[in-house]
Amino acid sequence: MSISRRKFLGWMGAAGLSTAFGSPVHAAANKHFKGYPDSLGVLFDSMLCIGCRNCEAGCNKVNGLPPPDLPFDDLTVLSKKRRVNTRTFTVVNLYDHSEGIKNPLFRKIQCNHCLEPACASACFVRAFTKTKEGSVVYDPSVCVGCRYCMIACPFEIPTYEYDKVLTPRIRKCTMCHPRVIEGKLPGCVEICPNEALTFGKRKDLIKIARDRIRKYPDRYVDHIYGENEMGGTSWLYLSGVPFKELGMREDLGVTPAPELTAGSLSTVPMVAGLWPVLLTGLYAVSKRKEKIAKIEQHQAIASTLEKANAEAESKLSKALAKAQKEKDAAIKIEIKKALEEAKKTQEKEGS
Amino acid sequence: MKKSMLQWAGILVVFILVLTLCIEAKDTNEILEHRSDLITIDTLKSFDALERPKVVFLHDLHTEALEKSNKDCKTCHLSEKSSKDRLSLKFKRLKDTGKQEVMDIYHAECIGCHKEISASDQDAGPVEVCGECHKKDAGLISSNLPVAFDKSLHFRHTEANKDEKTNKGDCGLCHHEYDEKAKKLFYAKEKEGSCRYCHMKETEENRMSMRLASHSGCIDCHKKAADNKKKTGPIKCSGCHDPDMQQKIEKVKVVPRIERKQPDIVLIHANKQKTNKDDRISRMNPVPFDHKAHEGYNDTCLACHHASLDSCSKKCHTPTGSKEGKYVNLESAMHQKGNKKSCLGCHEINQRQPNCAACHSLNAENRMLETSCQICHMKPLLKNSPATTMDEKLMAEMLLKSKKAASGTYKDEDIPEKVIIKELAEEYEPVELPHRKIIKTLLNNIKDNTLAGYFHAEKGMVCQSCHHNSPLDTKPPRCGSCHSKPFDGRNIFRPGIKGAYHQQCIRCHQVLKLEKPKSTGCTDCHKDKKK
Amino acid sequence: MSEKAAAASKSFFTPFNVVAGIIVIIGLILTALRFTGGLAAVTNLSDYNPWGIWIGFDLLVGVALAAGGYVTSAAVYLFGMKRYHSAVRAAILTGFLGYALVVLALHYDVGRPWRLPYPFIIQQGTTSVLFEVAACVALYLTVLFLEFSPAALEWLGMEKLRNLITKLTLVLTIFGVILSTLHQSSLGALFLIAPSKLHPLWYSPYLPVFFFVTSVIAGLSMVIFESTLSHRYFGDKMDEDHIREKDQIALGFGKAASYVLAGYFAIKVIGVSAGNHWHFLGTSYGLWFLVELFGFVALPCFLYAVGVRDKNLRLIRWTAVIAVLGIILNRFNVCLIAFNWHLPSSERYFPHWMEIGISVFVVTIGVILYRFIVTRMPILYEHPEYTDAH
Repeated sequence: MSISRRKFLGWMGAAGLSTAFGSPVHAAANKHFKGYPDSLGVLFDSMLCIGCRNCEAGCNKVNGLPPPDLPFDDLTVLSKKRRVNTRTFTVVNLYDHSEGIKNPLFRKIQCNHCLEPACASACFVRAFTKTKEGSVVYDPSVCVGCRYCMIACPFEIPTYEYDKVLTPRIRKCTMCHPRVIEGKLPGCVEICPNEALTFGKRKDLIKIARDRIRKYPDRYVDHIYGENEMGGTSWLYLSGVPFKELGMREDLGVTPAPELTAGSLSTVPMVAGLWPVLLTGLYAVSKRKEKIAKIEQHQAIASTLEKANAEAESKLSKALAKAQKEKDAAIKIEIKKALEEAKKTQEKEGS
Repeated sequence: MKKSMLQWAGILVVFILVLTLCIEAKDTNEILEHRSDLITIDTLKSFDALERPKVVFLHDLHTEALEKSNKDCKTCHLSEKSSKDRLSLKFKRLKDTGKQEVMDIYHAECIGCHKEISASDQDAGPVEVCGECHKKDAGLISSNLPVAFDKSLHFRHTEANKDEKTNKGDCGLCHHEYDEKAKKLFYAKEKEGSCRYCHMKETEENRMSMRLASHSGCIDCHKKAADNKKKTGPIKCSGCHDPDMQQKIEKVKVVPRIERKQPDIVLIHANKQKTNKDDRISRMNPVPFDHKAHEGYNDTCLACHHASLDSCSKKCHTPTGSKEGKYVNLESAMHQKGNKKSCLGCHEINQRQPNCAACHSLNAENRMLETSCQICHMKPLLKNSPATTMDEKLMAEMLLKSKKAASGTYKDEDIPEKVIIKELAEEYEPVELPHRKIIKTLLNNIKDNTLAGYFHAEKGMVCQSCHHNSPLDTKPPRCGSCHSKPFDGRNIFRPGIKGAYHQQCIRCHQVLKLEKPKSTGCTDCHKDKKK
Repeated sequence: MSEKAAAASKSFFTPFNVVAGIIVIIGLILTALRFTGGLAAVTNLSDYNPWGIWIGFDLLVGVALAAGGYVTSAAVYLFGMKRYHSAVRAAILTGFLGYALVVLALHYDVGRPWRLPYPFIIQQGTTSVLFEVAACVALYLTVLFLEFSPAALEWLGMEKLRNLITKLTLVLTIFGVILSTLHQSSLGALFLIAPSKLHPLWYSPYLPVFFFVTSVIAGLSMVIFESTLSHRYFGDKMDEDHIREKDQIALGFGKAASYVLAGYFAIKVIGVSAGNHWHFLGTSYGLWFLVELFGFVALPCFLYAVGVRDKNLRLIRWTAVIAVLGIILNRFNVCLIAFNWHLPSSERYFPHWMEIGISVFVVTIGVILYRFIVTRMPILYEHPEYTDAH
């Protein structure tokens, strides 16, 4: 929707109205939601992550999740490609990289807390909320369980309690929202020994990330993942190798998810508004066609009838005339006959 | 109607079959052969766009085949006009005269020879089908590596060509200059330099490309020696360019210095041609430079003298920069970081070896103390006597001699042996840091490094690896004075105390590849708290 | 009375009844499993694959194939094609049953089906395409119910109410077309939010248009297909008008479908060119895409055209089957096969047999209901007392 409006305003500007509408046009053209001011986030630095799984343990503890199958100090699971699930809101995976010093590399997976979350825009009961603190939180009390959020999430984060009958919920990282509003740190951040996770205002995190890239250009890839991906996320990443090699998708683009469906949704009022006009019009056209056809038919019938009548009448009159003639002739003959007879009788009487 | 339906179905089936075949063909993973003798024949592209895929030619395969049938290089390569012994590197011609001619030469000669051989019932190359030579994907991967003519090879070549009587090498065999007037090559004694100063990447007027020069020069000479049954270098491609063969090239361990009347010690001035107009740079003290020592550190003169052996600042890297030097001014030429050709760049790259990087990759990376300048730009020894009045060489020698190349530190008793870190003792017992042992190890690691020695001479400098941003003193501030609670919005770049400790210890241990303590082994450093 | 009962008990164990009975029994067992063990007990759904065939088949295919209702009623009531009048009731019945079963199937799929009204009464997530779908489907189901009700009312003999509702025909038809346009296309728009998961050959900003156009094809083809079946199995219920107009309908709808398929083929090609995804055609997904495009769009388009030209009703009827299969294939591709194409095969979804069981169960209920209604209500014939009404 914003695109079309942007275009529309652009055209207005081009049409010479730019002087009158100059500043609003400009403002609209640059309108882009950059997240709530001073919203919080976390910066994950893969060059500082040592793969100790403390964050997994911390997350498990503060969220009161069930104990894992293997204890958190078992580091062999790192090399398996694990994902988050209903019992684990965050996992750290090991990604092998052949280049000496940068090996091994780890990546922590959890909800990225998008600035404009796909899950929130996809939910038809607004069960997801992007809080002003930065986290995307979920309200199980309204969730219907359609799982469209899981389809929508480009990071494949929301997980579902398929095994629950009456109270299945979506489960995912909340960036420890309840703790954050109490002034505490998220569980994973607090426990990380190496400060591979930095917690702070998102705008500060970007400054920190830029500073690290500037200071150690050889160590880092010159990109902050999450700064613009899918319109930006509250969770940011630094890496020493292309992010693809950490199993992160580099083809997500910078369009926020809500914009992907906004165009289609914006046509709803148009269809609802225009279709009745169009369809009634079509109906009227077909009705009118029918009507005209009917009138024409009537006329045709009438004219043929008239013709037939006229013909019949002329026939009748002819016949009548003929009959009259015959009648007249017969009368004449009769009269003649009568006269002659009368004559005869007179003659008889006279003699 | 039935016919049209059948046609339709037929087209669909054929379409699907073709596609399936394409996909199948794509999916198969052939094991590609690695070869170091791949030559792509695409000469015709200099005339016109290529009509067919270029030909991938295996040079060694042909050389070997010819050897077997007692034929030599002249089967394919013609003699140059200038000298009978020198063979043209082109196939069966001296010059690329025209598209049709060159094409005809290849087709007639290659196919002719293949036919001839196959007539005698031997294995031969393709004869008829175009696509057998003009293949889009020959299924081969080039493993061809450029060969470095290092000090060791240079020395072996000089030795091999020594006159038995005078015991002197004949440098003129390879080194030459070009006389523009006489249009001849001549040898100029003590003007020798790297081939690459003249022979560039591409052939220019009167100057062969490096590729042509080395192939005709080296192979001709090797061939001649081989014909005279002398021990000589490779003739085939793989001999020089195959990665495995390169490993087998004999290395001389201690290579004597190449003598070309180069100086042992130089005093590098910015203001040799003092103009007074621009005395901005002349304010820096000159640098006494141990040329001889640096010869030993590098494999070739090209490491620093990348374009010529002339003065760097004369034409190219002038104090303000010039077009010839791509506007890299003298300051940059000497100090550009990340560039191996500059002094500072090379020293910096040296810092990446683990023993240096242990400290320099964390707190000291990219950090330069203001006092560092004077380590190279030394203060003149005699007061009130400007450097220029003294004999330069003598002064440089004296200055260098006065330089101490030893990393210094405080006396043992001034260095605490153990440090107990209590700040974070919540879950675990406090950590006992073997403080003195760590310093000793760090110092020991750089003990033989002269470069490090110059820069760490000052006491307390090595302490800076951990006690960064603090004065050089035996009593640095506590870590907790700066690092306290993490994620302080007022000091966003400063890690908290836990992060600071862990990042520093872990980074250093990672760089030094210390097996123990493991970075994930909490109890390797922290003892479990007794309950 | 006793004679009738005897006849009924005699004919109770017909092959149809036996098969349907077994399916219904199994279906009921599976239903019990689903609502006692949760989704995990009967489905292969996972965190990577939250939507299975209950969405891919029951919802997407179900809604598409139920499009016959709005297509036929629009043709007859709006575009004045009175000659197809006899097809309307059957098409609307199919549509009504289709949508009712879609809603039924959703009760299996969503985690807490009793909350299905929440989007309307508790909190409206208006930014969601799914909200649009839900709202339109709910409204359209009501519309279809009203459109269908005259048949039931005639059967029940409630003349006054029936006459009142028939007066609303035009309004209901227009409303139905609007709602269908919206939700048929929004089903495609559901996937617009996941460009990173759907294969580029199937993902297109035109997905809503594709879904809408294919729903027209599905509607037309389903009417042909379903009238063929009705004629075969309920021929005795048909009145003369139906039998006379049946072939007319096949020809007319076949012709229309051929045109729409040609247009659809064109916009599909435009979709590929717009994204410049030609290079994907050389991959195995590309081959699959071409199979769909040529085998299930171009081929039925061509066969319909040939059938109409030669007045070959047999060909048209078989083509309708191909076209319907094509729609099923398309919905499966978008929702299941080309979705999550980037995942390793170990993470991909394949339905559990119990999921398929529930889907079969739902379809069977539809067939049973159809049979029940057709054999009782004036669907395939005109009620002798209401012949004047149209």
